[in-house]
Amino acid sequence: MVGSALKRLMAEYKQLSLNPPEGIVAGPVNEENFFEWEALILGPEGTPFESGVFRTSLHFPTDYPMSPPKMKFISDIFHPNIYPDGRVCISILHSPGDDPMGYETSAERWSPVQSIEKILLSVMSMLAEPNPESGANVDASKMWRDDREQFNKRAEVLVRQSLGLPEQL
Amino acid sequence: MDNDRSHDNLKEQDYLKDMPNHEFDEAVNTMQSSIQDEIAASTDLLGDKLDISMLKNEYSADDVQYQKKIQNLEKRYSHVRKTRGDGNCFFRAFGFGYLEHMLSDKKDYPIFQENASNSFQKLMDLKYPSFTVEDFFENFISVVNSVKEGVSHTELLNTFREEGMSNYFVVYLRLITSCQLQSDSDFYQNFIDGGKTLVEFCKTEVEPMYLESDHIHIIALTSALGACVRVAYMDRGGDDLSFHDFPEDSQPTLHLLYRPGHYDVLYPR
Repeated sequence: MVGSALKRLMAEYKQLSLNPPEGIVAGPVNEENFFEWEALILGPEGTPFESGVFRTSLHFPTDYPMSPPKMKFISDIFHPNIYPDGRVCISILHSPGDDPMGYETSAERWSPVQSIEKILLSVMSMLAEPNPESGANVDASKMWRDDREQFNKRAEVLVRQSLGLPEQL
Repeated sequence: MDNDRSHDNLKEQDYLKDMPNHEFDEAVNTMQSSIQDEIAASTDLLGDKLDISMLKNEYSADDVQYQKKIQNLEKRYSHVRKTRGDGNCFFRAFGFGYLEHMLSDKKDYPIFQENASNSFQKLMDLKYPSFTVEDFFENFISVVNSVKEGVSHTELLNTFREEGMSNYFVVYLRLITSCQLQSDSDFYQNFIDGGKTLVEFCKTEVEPMYLESDHIHIIALTSALGACVRVAYMDRGGDDLSFHDFPEDSQPTLHLLYRPGHYDVLYPR
């Protein structure tokens, strides 16, 4: 099992290095251990997170790709679908049945032919389009719904922080 | 046993009600995985061949309806081989049962092998990235080829009992099913309800592991591989068993027993 997981992770790493999707850099933290990755995700254009570079970690189980990885934001983030401790709440990171958040039945689920690239692209579109219905962060969901201006300000601070810039000019 | 379980679940739910969101999620996950572990610990992925009369012990003696159905089953079938109830049972029963049959009767092998070999290119034509598919295909085709190369019955059984190999095989059967559905989407779309597109159906109900199979999965898989399967249905409906052949009017190679939510392998007399 560990052998097949490793082989698959190496194939995905190669693929991501040769054809990196726009706005995403991902790879193992060190090449001695392919089961711990970091990924940088660029905040999508035209969204409150535009230009931010967010650091995330991915932890792969030994039976990957039978089971999905666990993903967490290391950079500070404030978003309806990301728990305050950074864990990402998105349907593609869950197998069907494993369904505490009551995702739509048509929402894309984890299957062994999904990939790290697919996950990261889904997270990117989640940054662009939060789903306030499945609120991992209730405060962020409320603010997103009721006070978008405040939400955008909060996001801007996080973007500057992610780039190592002072909070305000 | 099912009754006990739902009773326990009710109690659990009461206590879960007051939890904060993320703790609730984790509690539910833990509960689900412990149920999965319990199933895993109590049944092999694939059991031994059992005398068909064993089935009688699974129902109470005064369950007239089922006891009568089992008697009728006994007239046609001598043995049953059980699979683990993990949602993959149809695929596992099909995969092992079909290859096991072809160990002794090679008649269906050439067409099966040909369809199996061509399946990878069909997935590539549907734009599946090769790095996500090739490991599953390689495992699958090497097991299929081992039948021609004279693998022993015990070796084949061990392959399907070893979790890694067995699940890799199931993943690929799911992909063949998905591929067939997508390749003939005009036909299959008619069977999909709930307003899903066929691609959505494949991504959410066919490709992920541990999801149960329906008629549509069986139709697609048997037609993709040119396989003939008879399913004996034993449920609470009607006084007798009912049978369905996939495809219709074919001469079945493999026989499966269906009881609500579960498939096992049957051996004709």
